Amino acid sequence: MNGADLAARFLANAATAAAGTHLLPGPDALAEALARIVPPDAKVYCPGSTAIERAVADLFPDRVVDYAEATVTVEEVFGAVAETGSLVCSSEGGRAVQAGLLPSHHVAILRRGKIFATLDGLFSAVASAPPANLTLVTGPSRTADIELTLAIGVHGPERLTILVV
Amino acid sequence: MSAGQTSLRFRENAVRALGDETLRAAMRHAADTFGTKRADAFAPLPDVEELRDRASAIREEVLANLPVYVERFAASATRAGATVHRAKDAAAAREIVAGILAERGAKRIVKGKSMVSEEAELNAHLESAGMEVVETDLGEYIIQLEGEPPSHIIVPAIHKNRRQVGSLFAKHLGVPYTEDPQELTKIARKALREKFLAADAGISGANFAAADTGSLVLFTNEGNGRMVTTVPPLHVAILSIEKVIPSLSDLPAFIRLLPRSATGQPITSYVSVITGPRRPGGATGAQELHVVLLDNGRTGILAGESRDILKCIRCGACMNVCPVYRAVGGHSYGWTYPGPMGLILTALLTGMEKSHPVVDASTLCGACEEVCPVRVPLVPLILGLRRRKVREGFADPAERRGMALFSRAAASPALFSLGQRLAGLFWPVARLLGGKDVAGRIPPPAKRPFRRKAP
Repeated sequence: MNGADLAARFLANAATAAAGTHLLPGPDALAEALARIVPPDAKVYCPGSTAIERAVADLFPDRVVDYAEATVTVEEVFGAVAETGSLVCSSEGGRAVQAGLLPSHHVAILRRGKIFATLDGLFSAVASAPPANLTLVTGPSRTADIELTLAIGVHGPERLTILVV
Repeated sequence: MSAGQTSLRFRENAVRALGDETLRAAMRHAADTFGTKRADAFAPLPDVEELRDRASAIREEVLANLPVYVERFAASATRAGATVHRAKDAAAAREIVAGILAERGAKRIVKGKSMVSEEAELNAHLESAGMEVVETDLGEYIIQLEGEPPSHIIVPAIHKNRRQVGSLFAKHLGVPYTEDPQELTKIARKALREKFLAADAGISGANFAAADTGSLVLFTNEGNGRMVTTVPPLHVAILSIEKVIPSLSDLPAFIRLLPRSATGQPITSYVSVITGPRRPGGATGAQELHVVLLDNGRTGILAGESRDILKCIRCGACMNVCPVYRAVGGHSYGWTYPGPMGLILTALLTGMEKSHPVVDASTLCGACEEVCPVRVPLVPLILGLRRRKVREGFADPAERRGMALFSRAAASPALFSLGQRLAGLFWPVARLLGGKDVAGRIPPPAKRPFRRKAP
């Protein structure tokens, strides 16, 4: 499977899991896309620890330092799995994986070269030295604990938006 | 939390459940929903049978060398920075967990869903030590407010309808009554968010534990499991020893099978792989991670004829398709684990003397085996327990006499014919004496027995 097919398969499966998906031509298109996705009055947490994050951080003048107070987290994630439409969030490099959990909207930026075709591909890549926390995120937080009726946004985000660059 | 085992009263429990229309409606709805969702989730997957074979083989391998893998997991987890504790039984597990929390002065505890902690009756013990223990899985939160044990291992409040949940929230949380599941979920989110941020410690279970890396693996949908394991400074995980798998690279097979079998999802919203506590310079994970490995009789089960039940990965598919579970609900079984896998574990973990009626709570139709993702031989296991029940003298004496009589009659055509004629003769009498119970449930004997119709 080539890169374009992999990205298409990942995005299709993520959309089935109720994530919002955007395939952008490249990092230069992020500013415009984020301006449409993140409301101007949002309290944004953006860790600014990768090149992409540093490039977009200035778009949000009212950034908060504590993700627990944010309404939106904008971050670059470690990778993705096409098979399941999952994002892969990792604690590697001093990252707070829970920053994508507490705010009600999680905006994840993913470089298209970081998509694994299958779960086997991901786990054989990380199994020799897993980080303290590796979390597969597939769609927003959900529950069916009341009459097996789907409700979105229990403890984690009500919205998950994925931008592939 | 656990209100004391009532498995010996299975029959009374079941009769009461059968008369509860609200419960029966909830169970019917659940059965229909689960059946469709599971089938839909497996349909697009190629080679399902091969996948089940592989998962089954991994679980077999674990059981064949369980002490080795448990040791390996403990060593790997320790290397990753966790403190590993071994608990021989439920009482030991309660003491260990309470000790860890008390030593650090933890008072406010948030908890993720863990059936092993239910088995160990952990909550009541911690509460009696003056700690506040809040269940954060929505279903568990609902039944904690009600003071009930779970009735399903995946969907603990499956027996409740939205109106009951609405009234419960209005009563306990001081919110206006609503029966909209989305609104009710929002109310719980708000109430529990405060608890997460203020908690001194989080307690979780684990779906799997990888021996090669010492990783704990948690499958969750709501995000509460992630909160419990990353927000408080202290994380205590409690799991039973057979949850171990040889390698983290074995996980994909279980990611493909467990959520599909449990809720009909291709994958849960979150799959967390936790390897040790927060690392130096890191920003994720509890500062301190303790892992409590509970045996509670499993090493004994491993050595006996029922060992294959330890292959179970707790998806709950067997209960969703079980005609008995669907009729009587989970509480009737009277202990932590209901349904086919549950009745087997109940008999093995609590002992035949405390549970023998539940081994009869199966029609032996085999629907459970058909859906089991790791091919646990549930029907032979149940039959084995029934043989043990008879062997150990727990069979009902009247039933034993009746069965002895039947086996003699069935071996002799003359006696069998006599029995059939007598049944026809005595039917009106039995109907008169037994009243509605007999007339309504047992059909009258045929005028001309089938044997005489046959050529």
